[in-house]
Amino acid sequence: MDDPSLLALVAVRVALAFAPVPETFKYDQQLSSPLTAYSRLREGIYLFDHGVDPYSGGSFRHSPLLLSLFSTALPLTRYTSPVLWTAADVLAAWALARIWRLRTGAKYTKRDKQVIALYLFNPYILLPSLALSTSSIENSLTLLSLMFASRGRASASLFVFAILIHISLPSLLLLVPILLLSISRPVSSLTVPHPFAGDPKGALPLLGEFLGYTALLSFASTLVCGNWSWIEKTWGAFITLPDLTPNPGLWWYFFTEMFDHFRPFFLLVFTVHLLIYIAPICIKFQHDMLYAVFLLVGILAVFKPYPTLSDPGLFISMFSLFPETYPYLRHPIVTGLIHLHASLLLPLFNSLWLRQGTGNANFFYASTLVFGMGNGAALLDAVWAGLRVAIGKLDDGYEVVQE
Amino acid sequence: MPTILQKLAGVATALRQRLRGGDDPNATRIRRRQVLTNKLWKGLPFIRLVLFLVGYLWMLALPSSQFGQRIYIDENALQPAQVHTYWNWNDVHRADRILEDLEQLRDRNATNDEIARYSVGVFEKLGIPARTQRYSFDTLGGAINGTNAYAVMAAPRASGAEAIIISASWLSRTGEGDETLNLRGVAIVLSLAGYLKKYSLWAKDLVFVISDGYLDGMQAFITTYHGLPQANLHTEPLELSSGVVWTAINVDYPGHSFSHLGIFFEGLNGRLPNQDLMNSVGVISRHTGGVPVVVYDDLDPRETPSAPTVVPSWMPEGLKNNGDVQEYAMRAKVISRHVNYQARGAASGVHGLLHQFRIDALTVYAVPATGPHGFYALGKILESSLRTMNNLLERLHASFFFFLLVRPEIFMKIGMYLPSAILVGTSMLFSGLGEWVNAGWLLTSVSLEDEEKSEKARPRSVEKWVSRDRPVLDAVTVMIATHAIGYVFWEAVSRRLAHPAILFLIFAAAPLLVARLPQPTRPGSAPVSAVLKALNLCFTSAVISITAVLNFSLAAALAVFMGIPLTLASPSPRLPSRIGKYALYSILALGWLVFCPEDTGKALWNWEVLRVWFAPFVCVVYVPLVLQSALVCWLPS
Repeated sequence: MDDPSLLALVAVRVALAFAPVPETFKYDQQLSSPLTAYSRLREGIYLFDHGVDPYSGGSFRHSPLLLSLFSTALPLTRYTSPVLWTAADVLAAWALARIWRLRTGAKYTKRDKQVIALYLFNPYILLPSLALSTSSIENSLTLLSLMFASRGRASASLFVFAILIHISLPSLLLLVPILLLSISRPVSSLTVPHPFAGDPKGALPLLGEFLGYTALLSFASTLVCGNWSWIEKTWGAFITLPDLTPNPGLWWYFFTEMFDHFRPFFLLVFTVHLLIYIAPICIKFQHDMLYAVFLLVGILAVFKPYPTLSDPGLFISMFSLFPETYPYLRHPIVTGLIHLHASLLLPLFNSLWLRQGTGNANFFYASTLVFGMGNGAALLDAVWAGLRVAIGKLDDGYEVVQE
Repeated sequence: MPTILQKLAGVATALRQRLRGGDDPNATRIRRRQVLTNKLWKGLPFIRLVLFLVGYLWMLALPSSQFGQRIYIDENALQPAQVHTYWNWNDVHRADRILEDLEQLRDRNATNDEIARYSVGVFEKLGIPARTQRYSFDTLGGAINGTNAYAVMAAPRASGAEAIIISASWLSRTGEGDETLNLRGVAIVLSLAGYLKKYSLWAKDLVFVISDGYLDGMQAFITTYHGLPQANLHTEPLELSSGVVWTAINVDYPGHSFSHLGIFFEGLNGRLPNQDLMNSVGVISRHTGGVPVVVYDDLDPRETPSAPTVVPSWMPEGLKNNGDVQEYAMRAKVISRHVNYQARGAASGVHGLLHQFRIDALTVYAVPATGPHGFYALGKILESSLRTMNNLLERLHASFFFFLLVRPEIFMKIGMYLPSAILVGTSMLFSGLGEWVNAGWLLTSVSLEDEEKSEKARPRSVEKWVSRDRPVLDAVTVMIATHAIGYVFWEAVSRRLAHPAILFLIFAAAPLLVARLPQPTRPGSAPVSAVLKALNLCFTSAVISITAVLNFSLAAALAVFMGIPLTLASPSPRLPSRIGKYALYSILALGWLVFCPEDTGKALWNWEVLRVWFAPFVCVVYVPLVLQSALVCWLPS
């Protein structure tokens, strides 16, 4: 961060944080979910400070870690909150640039600035951050953990990851590749696939360490709350989907429409469905664990229970780590166009339904489907390009097929 | 001896072999895909043309008598024209007395305050709480001042959580507010207040508004009612308030009698009210009031011989009397008026200001004539309409906001008109994708002479696709820069910084600076103009398809203005033709500044006072998109 132009980027980002944004931003359903909303966080802190158990109601579902952090060390005010959220974004962008440098093995590259700018000014990341959605904090924790893992500092990585799991349970998907990443190297080997370099057994003690951190943080959380009710309210929410407030993901409408007696079954299906991607992706991309993490972040962006725009934003910004795959993307223009349409349709249909009242829930659901298609298309592009890059440029008259 | 089963299996294998080509299935698949891609690529110009043709022809066919279906009432609770009305000649007499007072006020040039105080006096005499509200708008054309009068009649049977607005503006909508007074409209609202007070069946508060001016008074009232601040509006706070307004009806009665009841429904920013409400008022007008209904104030010359003919005079005599042609002309007139209001985001009457607050509202317009109807029929229609609105237990259904009314009793559902604009958008999308492929691949002929050195083998040339880099970042920079210019342009226009002709020259030339942004074309990479055209077409197509859901008329207008011109943009090697093309696109983008000063002024007024986003949209979206096309022609190929 010694380059003046980098400072300029950060300065612009800070200025944006204090730009006058409409108050409705904080309540926008695309920018913050019930689990990440700033207003709910404030409410929980208020209740906590006044001696009421915030987890006794149904509105506060943030982690006790955030609760204790923001009710003691970092009070949230009109001035501190934008600074904190901007700091989270800058930290994430810095971590992303570090990962990029570690991947290339260079101390300084020309693309550093691009990588940072692509994170700080990605609208999918910027807008939730302006709305003070805690998904920004999730993103920066994800990238920090990845950065430590890339540097081979497994303990730090796993500790940060344990915090991330406390805030957002679905990120558990990334556990296996992060463990494997911390015992391998983050350099790009997409072009030269090979069996996993390290010894996978070396990950077992790390797994134990991770479980230890998680247990420790759970104990701390229980101390903060005084009881175990936070587990059901925070982690439980990701599995039982109690709050059906609309969001840009694919779960809410499905469960709104469902008869109650099918709920447990489909909750199980939806949750387990997320897990089935871990093994195939980690096996197929065992030569490049960072790419496996990237793809799983993409899976989370599409299929997470309570997504905000930050989740696809993280996936899209992480594309900047893998420039070698760009020439092999399958249909980049089509994916880009679907994203363009979806990002115009989402706010439009949301307001037609909830503000203007001339549409209904199906409108917004349709636009979330388009958005899901866009994210899915980006994911498929990434999978294809990641595999295809190994074959390299083809001679005339040759084609690659997938068996 | 082969059994039937074996024979069948043999046939199946043969069939499979034919389909798969017998050898490696993967090779067959690739070959099939290549054939398909080639066919698609060869057929692309044809597909684009067909999509354009179908889209535009569909638009032209919208007024045809083959389209459309009869209206119906969806919400059962409305029960239009099912009540007995009690409005009688006594009440008409009272309205006449009030009208005399209003005429006196008019004749002695009473001030806005006096008129408002008179209305408040009438309400208070009836025992209904009433107040005045002074307001003033600061606009670049000077301040607009006025005084509204309003009264809130609390619902005798409910808590007042919901309300209905009955309004009349001091100026009629005749000629879009050309200073014709709406005396009879005001008179009937005032007398209706006294009449409605006698009944205890109201489940919703009735809010009577006599708004000053044409649109400005209601804007001041309704934004203050909903607590929406507007920087250039200074107004007194409302001392009386009521609940959530669900529906509203605005009365406009400029003549001394009327023959038809005209229905105006377009709101700000292309919003439409719920169709059920319009249909109900139409049914009530026909059945309870015995008054025929028209869309707007256009009378059908086939029913009213005195009305001006709608079939153009250059038509041959035989066609002029053809029923289908007459029907087409009549519907085309209605649709073109609708598009004119909706595409500009203009309100077709005072009701239009209410839609933004989720109030379903319309204006009933008494089309001036020498007879036969007057206060008696109008009073009955209003009474029955209010009873219908009073019946509502929940909001009107969401599926009834998308329609195209072509006759008072015939409308088109969204699926019947929306595809026309979307098809044009799709055609542009395909053109854009085609340009994208063109930018990345170059079909060159490679000679294959060195393989055989014998004299017989003449140099054969083989067509071959060669890939090249696309300067995407350059093209995106140009696009962002033109939109930034569009924003500066909007600031300049909305502040009227300079004479329109000067603005035109400055902003038509500004993109030429942008043209210097991209780096000179690197060898082996595509020209910026090709990528710019691809992205421009794709983005425009997205804008058209998305706007279509929000404001169909605007999307259709965009499709007409941008569809073919943007697709045809292409760089040319010779300087004169480059300059010519650039000038043409600049005129398409900015010509309105010079050629339609009146419309520009109206659009700016609509933005300043009513916050209609049509003017900024044109400046920040439409103008830059067309200027990008101008740049496509200007940049070297």
